[in-house]
Amino acid sequence: MKTRIKEFRAKLKLTQEELANKVGVRRETIIFLEQGKYNPSLQLAHDVAKVLGKKIKDVFVF
Amino acid sequence: MKRQTKNGKGRAWKYWLALVVIVLGIVLGHYNVGREFLGFASAGNWLIYVGVVIFAVVTLQMFFKKERITDERTERVGYFASRVTFLFVILFAFVVMVADGIKEIIIPYSLFMSYLICGIVLVYFVTFRIMNRRAV
Repeated sequence: MKTRIKEFRAKLKLTQEELANKVGVRRETIIFLEQGKYNPSLQLAHDVAKVLGKKIKDVFVF
Repeated sequence: MKRQTKNGKGRAWKYWLALVVIVLGIVLGHYNVGREFLGFASAGNWLIYVGVVIFAVVTLQMFFKKERITDERTERVGYFASRVTFLFVILFAFVVMVADGIKEIIIPYSLFMSYLICGIVLVYFVTFRIMNRRAV
């Protein structure tokens, strides 16, 4: 699954660590999410999208 | 939104555990129960030693342990590591059964269990570390 987390995160000038802290996950989880190697739960996808100020469908490309 | 761990919250019961183990050790030592246990003069002495070690480890963790977040991915990694560890125990039991059938294994039960517990902890730890580096 592709994600646009990195792109939106860069626009907000957030580091992976900052995003991870805001979402409440480890930095490694954000890394794997950005690489598209981890399929998040709906809750996590919602939280990430919320922090990035986007909709889930915009952040996660199925 | 936050999925923080319970790290640092379960410290009190560990201190209680250490206290109970030490008191149990003193009681057993007083009544001179169990001799020559795992290299100690008595089972009571061993329990006192274990209690002191628990106490020391919990105290040291208070100063040095990093706050770690447990998120859904690490929970998943832990679940997989548990499954691998369970499989290890089954395979190990099978190997022991076969080995005992070929040649009788003469080892104190307490020593065997301590090796087994160390093995389980080690396998879980290594599996967790390896799988944590993968996405899962």
